[in-house]
Amino acid sequence: MSKGAKERAAVRRIVADQKAREKRRAVTLWTSTSVIIVLVIAGLIGWAVLSGQETDNAEKLTTPPAAVDGGTAFAAGDGPVEIDIYEDFMCPVCRAFESASGDALQQLVARHKATVRYHPIAILDRASNGTRYSTRSAAAAAAAAEGGRFAEYHRALFANQPTEGSDGLDDAKLIQLGESVGLTGTAFADAITGKTYWAWATTVTGEASARGVTGTPTVMVNGSKLDEPTAAAVEQAVAAAG
Amino acid sequence: MTRLALAVVWIVAGGQKMTDLAASGRAVNAYRLMPYDAAKIVGAVQPFLEIALGLLLLVGLAVRLSAGISAVLLLIFMAGIVSAWARGLQIDCGCFSQGGALAAGQTPEYAREIARDAGFLVLAAMLLCKPRTRFSLDGLLLGGHR
Repeated sequence: MSKGAKERAAVRRIVADQKAREKRRAVTLWTSTSVIIVLVIAGLIGWAVLSGQETDNAEKLTTPPAAVDGGTAFAAGDGPVEIDIYEDFMCPVCRAFESASGDALQQLVARHKATVRYHPIAILDRASNGTRYSTRSAAAAAAAAEGGRFAEYHRALFANQPTEGSDGLDDAKLIQLGESVGLTGTAFADAITGKTYWAWATTVTGEASARGVTGTPTVMVNGSKLDEPTAAAVEQAVAAAG
Repeated sequence: MTRLALAVVWIVAGGQKMTDLAASGRAVNAYRLMPYDAAKIVGAVQPFLEIALGLLLLVGLAVRLSAGISAVLLLIFMAGIVSAWARGLQIDCGCFSQGGALAAGQTPEYAREIARDAGFLVLAAMLLCKPRTRFSLDGLLLGGHR
């Protein structure tokens, strides 16, 4: 091969290499841009889905007229100290708290020391195989409050608490529990089957989160959260506040 | 395959959160790092972002960039967990669930959560260093793999 031919071959190689590098650079640029666009679109979809769900929820919202504290809770008693209790009817620790502290709370109410505000919330929907027992039971409690039987129904729900990971109590059972505490009218049953207070349960759960409730049971006495929600701690805090 | 492993991690993590965006928002809010309204949006955007990132890694498009973004996200998550730990918050990281709330009596497992994220970070780092793998769109578009 002549010297000229060798040089021409070398030049061709350099040019080919350069073209390949340019192609790679162009492809990398385009793929990177695509990745960014895909991620931005995915994020926007998430935002849009959330807004859609919130609008939908707002349209369906029925706040039970009996609810206090901005329509988020049901009150017992008229004492000066405010006790806020955030509970999920699926939460075993809430049940334990109720059975350990229920009497003490009733005492505080009966002696006009405190007003207890029960906030049923739904943070454990994932624990009922997709039947959303937390939402359904919180909504049922709202319906019971409308029938004037919140306290009784609240006790019945904890006494019949399903295990986490089960389907939860079905609607027929929720209606039957209502009958057992005197909610025999059609209004209660209709509210259960018509999902009347589902959107309300979702709304108050969000409201609770906004107030710093990160778990259940959360017990606040005059607005300050108790580290360990026990009967003794509640009584102590009420005594200190009252 | 490192790429597929990281892809699956993202798709599973995102998929579990996507089913209940409100819960995802509450999980973010439980970290108490931003106002609730902001947390709600982050909680809704994040699962979709995770799934998209997983799919991009799965098909192997711009792997180096996807791996880089993965690493940045993982570092943010780890920082969040560390800060929750440092502040003594009693929360579940919500990494693979709707997390957020921990009932009284449950103990958070921050060390384990951080270790797990560190493991994922190693995967991302390996991909960052060697982004060219078999059966990827990158390979198809750029021709062969080095």
